[in-house]
Amino acid sequence: MLESLILPCVYAFFASLGFAYLFNIHGFGTVVCGLGGAVGWLAYLLSAPFVHSVIIQSFFAGLAISIFSEIMGRVRKAPVTGYLLVAFFPLVPGGGIYYTMKYCMDGQTDLFISKGLETLGIAGALAAGVVLASSAVRLFTNFHNQRRPSH
Amino acid sequence: MDYDVLLQFATEMGYQLQISGAEIYRVEESVQRVLAAYGASSGEVFAIPNCLTVSVNDPEGRSLTRIRRVGMHGTDIYRLEALNELSRTICSQIPPLPDSISQLETICRDTTAYPFPFQLFAYFLGCGAFGFFFGGNWKDAFSAGICGIVIGLCLPFMEKLKTNLFFKTSVGGFFSALTAFALVALGVGNDADIIIIGALMALVPGIAFTNAIRDIIAGDMVSGISKIAEAILVGVSIALGTAVALWIARLLGVS
Repeated sequence: MLESLILPCVYAFFASLGFAYLFNIHGFGTVVCGLGGAVGWLAYLLSAPFVHSVIIQSFFAGLAISIFSEIMGRVRKAPVTGYLLVAFFPLVPGGGIYYTMKYCMDGQTDLFISKGLETLGIAGALAAGVVLASSAVRLFTNFHNQRRPSH
Repeated sequence: MDYDVLLQFATEMGYQLQISGAEIYRVEESVQRVLAAYGASSGEVFAIPNCLTVSVNDPEGRSLTRIRRVGMHGTDIYRLEALNELSRTICSQIPPLPDSISQLETICRDTTAYPFPFQLFAYFLGCGAFGFFFGGNWKDAFSAGICGIVIGLCLPFMEKLKTNLFFKTSVGGFFSALTAFALVALGVGNDADIIIIGALMALVPGIAFTNAIRDIIAGDMVSGISKIAEAILVGVSIALGTAVALWIARLLGVS
C-alpha cells in the first residue's frame, strides 16, 4: 500500500511542485499544482486493476487532473491552464520517448514500433480524457448559466 | 473616447496575455470584452500562436487595425492570473481608460520571476523527484537532479544565442544525457536510463500539448494543430539529442 500507492503520489507531488516554480506560480497555488500531479497519478494507479492497459489508465488520469483543475480554477478564480499544465507533468510519456529512441538505436525494430505507438497512444488518451472532462464541465456551466441568466 | 488609444491598449493586453502562455480563446475573449466595455462593440479579434490582429470601427465609421507578431515566449502563470484579474475588473467596473493603461503597465513592469539560483533548485527538486518516481534509489534521484540543473543552465544559454525551440531542446537533452552517463561512469548514479528520463521531464512538450488540447476544445483548430505539431517536433528533438549522447557514450564504452 505505502510502497505501491502512496510513495509514487508523494514523488509526483514534489516533482509537480518543482515545475510549478518554473512557471512562476506563487504562494498556495504551487501546492495546488503539486496536488494536481498527485491526483493524476493516483487515478492512474487506482484504475490499473480494472483496465490492464497503460493507455486506458492514462485516459482516466487525464480525466482526473482535468476535473481537479477545472474545480480549482473555479474555486480560486484563476485560469485553469496553470493547474492543468503542471499536473500534466508526471503523465507525459517522457520515458516512452526515451525508450523509443533507444530501441531505434539498438536496431530492435519491433520494440521500436510498439513503444512508439504506445507513447503516441498515451498522449492521445491523455488528450481524450482532458477533452471529455473539460467539455462536460463547459456543458454543465452553460446549462447552469442559461437557467439562471443573472450571474 | 480616443479609439487609437483604446485599440493600442486592447492589443497590448492581448499581446501580454499571449506571451504569458494564455490559450487562444482567452486572448480573443479578453480583448473583445475590453473593447466592448469601453464602447467599441464592433471590435474583432483574431489570434493564432504567433500573430494577433485587433480591429475596431470608430463612431465615424473608419476602421482601425493593429497587428502584433508574437515571438517565442515562455509561460508566466503569475502574470497570466494578474492580467485575467485586470480583464475581469475592467468588465465589471469599467474604470477610466488611463487607469487601466497604468494598471497594465504595472503588471508588465512587475518582475515576479524567481531568482535564477532558486530556478535551478526547482529544476533539481522536480527532476530529482522524478528520479524517485521512475523507481530509482536516492543515488539516481540525486543524479537526475544534477542533470536537471544542467538543463536549467543550458536553456537560458541557448536562449541568449537566439536558437530555435527544437535546437534548444536537442542541446538540453544532449548535455543532460551526457552528464547522466558521466555520473554513472563515476559511480555517483546507478541506472542511466532512470536518470535520463527523470531529467528529460524538464524538456517534454507538456505545455505545448496542454495548450493544444485546450485550443482544440475551444474550437481554434489552426492554433491547436500547429501546437500539436510543435509538441511532436519537440518530442523528436529530445530523442535526437539523447540519441547523440547515447551514441557517444557507447563509442567511449561507458554504456
